Amino acid sequence: MSEMANGHERWSEELAAYLLGALGPDEMGSFERHAEDCERCRAEARWLMPAMQALPESVERRQAPPELRERLMVEVRADAKAGSGVAAERAAAGEDRDRNWRQRLAALWRGGGPRGLRPAVGLAALLLVVAAVAGYVVGGGSSSPSGDPSTTVVSGQAPGIVATMVREGEGGSLYLKNVKPIPDGRVLEAWVQRGDKVEPVPALFAPNREGRATTMVANMNGVETVMVTVEPSGGTRAPTSAPIVTMPIPQ
Amino acid sequence: MVRRERAERLADEELMPLIGAKDPEAFEVFFDRHGGAAYSLAYRIVGEKAGAEDVVQEAFISIWRSGARFDKARGSVRAWTLSIVRNRAIDALRSRAGKAPKLTFDDEGILEQRPADDSTEDEAMRHETAGEVRGALETLPGDQAKVIELAYFGGFSHSEIAEMLGVPLGTVKGRMRLGLDKIRGELAEGLA
Repeated sequence: MSEMANGHERWSEELAAYLLGALGPDEMGSFERHAEDCERCRAEARWLMPAMQALPESVERRQAPPELRERLMVEVRADAKAGSGVAAERAAAGEDRDRNWRQRLAALWRGGGPRGLRPAVGLAALLLVVAAVAGYVVGGGSSSPSGDPSTTVVSGQAPGIVATMVREGEGGSLYLKNVKPIPDGRVLEAWVQRGDKVEPVPALFAPNREGRATTMVANMNGVETVMVTVEPSGGTRAPTSAPIVTMPIPQ
Repeated sequence: MVRRERAERLADEELMPLIGAKDPEAFEVFFDRHGGAAYSLAYRIVGEKAGAEDVVQEAFISIWRSGARFDKARGSVRAWTLSIVRNRAIDALRSRAGKAPKLTFDDEGILEQRPADDSTEDEAMRHETAGEVRGALETLPGDQAKVIELAYFGGFSHSEIAEMLGVPLGTVKGRMRLGLDKIRGELAEGLA
């Protein structure tokens, strides 16, 4: 196909913006469809790509804080020790959607709540905010001041924590906000209760500097309550401390 | 699990399958190699320490949990890693600003366009790149440097940049292209 016929000249103008991530989603898709059939665009992209990839190397170099490395490795080692089952499931199912999850949650935390979320992302049919609980059980707390039944603020043993359970399919992701730093050598461990049985959630987790922490529950079927405790690194088979979050799950 | 000493001798591309198999020692070596560059980039974008730390933590945990997804045919591990960090930092920036995300980046999108056989050149450039690109950016005409910085480090779309600067969209596209061409030319000269 000639360049004129395939519109190369027009699309070539978009190439730098594409590489810099400065095209809108629709334009990006259109460009990629064009580039699939345009060898000249691909050749120009190959030529420019090193310039693009050199940009992050150009910034003033800083040393990563040691505590960042420490926090990261605590989570990684806890994950590894807990086994790869849930982690692999996350990789296969959860991480692909990670960005969208975080966007949805960011919107939620900005105060929009599920109602505010719907027009923005159109995911009402896919996203079920089961119950962002809390204090309720831990401290006999109350529902959120906003009256939004999907978000309740924890009171009692862990004041201020906001917990959100986002359910998708059989599983669900638990998002905590306002979690205070936990001592060195400790991790967060989630538990699910079905009837009289309480089982640990394999994916241990830890709060980041903003007090946010996330884990995934592979199977939410029949779960009546989700709890979170602070446990020794590597986790335990039974809780050794009082829960900082207790979240009843509507059946 | 590999011992740290052995992991340190492995190339990035050899570490990735180990990380995919959930080997913490391999991951630690991987972080020690690229954590500094990742943190520097995140700091440059979000502009403060705590936010940069969170971006890096999220990005590396994402890599840890999906390490097996790295495909060496798509380019270097470092470029892949930094593209993930950049995208997450831009997300954080937008989220903090209360802006609805306007662009959807695939962590691997850019690298999908990248040919595998560039990796040698890429590795060679890495060692000399920082100073060269800084130099190239400094010698770029200000209007070209500005649009590149607003797009790459600010996460703005070309139409947003056009509006901000009060110039036609075509002008922004042209400056982006001229600027990248010039940086690329400087890099090519540096390698010659």
